[in-house]
Amino acid sequence: MFKSLSVASVFFSLVVSGTLLAGPLGIGTTATDEVIAGWDIDVRPDGMGLPVGEGSVAAGEGLYEAKCASCHGLFGEGEGRWPVLSGGEGTLDTLHPEKTVGSYWPYASTLWDYIHRAMPYTAPQSLTDDETYSISAYILYLNDIVDDEFIANKETFARVKMPNEANFYVDNRPDAQNERCFKNCADPKLFEIVTTINGVTPTGHFKEDSGVAANHYEGNPSAASEVGTSNEISTTKIVFSDTAVLGEGVYDKACQACHSSGIAGAPKTGDKTAWVSRIEQGMDILNVHAINGYQGEDGVMPAKGGNMSLSNDDVINAVAFMVESSR
Amino acid sequence: MTSIRIKAKERNGSVDVKTLMKHSMETGLRKGKDGKKIPEHWITDVTAESGGKVVFQAAFNTTISKDPYLAFKFDGKKGDSVKISWKDSQGKTDAAETKVK
Repeated sequence: MFKSLSVASVFFSLVVSGTLLAGPLGIGTTATDEVIAGWDIDVRPDGMGLPVGEGSVAAGEGLYEAKCASCHGLFGEGEGRWPVLSGGEGTLDTLHPEKTVGSYWPYASTLWDYIHRAMPYTAPQSLTDDETYSISAYILYLNDIVDDEFIANKETFARVKMPNEANFYVDNRPDAQNERCFKNCADPKLFEIVTTINGVTPTGHFKEDSGVAANHYEGNPSAASEVGTSNEISTTKIVFSDTAVLGEGVYDKACQACHSSGIAGAPKTGDKTAWVSRIEQGMDILNVHAINGYQGEDGVMPAKGGNMSLSNDDVINAVAFMVESSR
Repeated sequence: MTSIRIKAKERNGSVDVKTLMKHSMETGLRKGKDGKKIPEHWITDVTAESGGKVVFQAAFNTTISKDPYLAFKFDGKKGDSVKISWKDSQGKTDAAETKVK
């Protein structure tokens, strides 16, 4: 706390004294053209900002080997993990793109600007304008963009066309897709911004795809039951007669062992196709078969289901239950 | 424009040669975006001559990386010529020559 306070007060006193006295730092004085030129060091793609001077590939070779090659490699291949300056042509759209001056950079002017501004790494802005021209020319030569006779100066440097320039373009997409409204606009207070954070997928996400998908997503079982066949046990509610209600208990004790799973050819309870032909014979015949036993084409019905302790009425009730369950 | 860059420097009667050959060095095992194998294309032989005499020879194979970088020494002096040539698996060749500095 004390430290930050003191720093602020020192800064404040500097500002005050500068404004009043135009003190040693010159704060408050108007910048001269010379001062502005010292800061105005950027170079544009069209060559604006390039100074007078020139450099050759041959001169650049010696400078490059002395000042650049220890990191960037003798041929621009990059020592260790320092930046690679050459090669990589045609790799931009592959799994491992190599972005180098030759394969990626859109403008040669960036070379001059960057080298002049920030290189060599250990002594930035130590190169003269001519040295910068020479090194830039040599790096272009390493990338086969210029030949070894190339002399770089204000005019020739701006004319250099980089191989990847065409892949850079101005993004002309608008900031917002909607048209701007000036007249009779809706009241912003009435706008309702709705977000859908409802599980992972927004509700109704599939509605435009197909009805089945929408039903499926919302957990509506009707789509599934429509495709069910008559072989499947119906889930619809059955209203039983009094005898059938009495028979349900008997069925659970004596009959379901075979008739719920279909063991020994027994028609499954609820299996409509299996029961249709049997129900057509009439309840009397079914009752007789159930009480006395019956040998059919599909299998054997033992008398009273093999449980002789059941009364005839018990058996009749159970038959009624099964028939009504399977209609 | 040649695919070979050479730097040769003499010191104490020994010439230090460094060279970089731009070559795809495709092994023939890599698959392209279409899922088909990229045909093999790699340098098989590299020869360096100085004054008509072979001073260095190498038999490359598919384990050599793309754009091979090679450095070697031989006994020579300033002003000697150094000629480096390669031949690849598709029968193509290239050569470049420089003077020892």
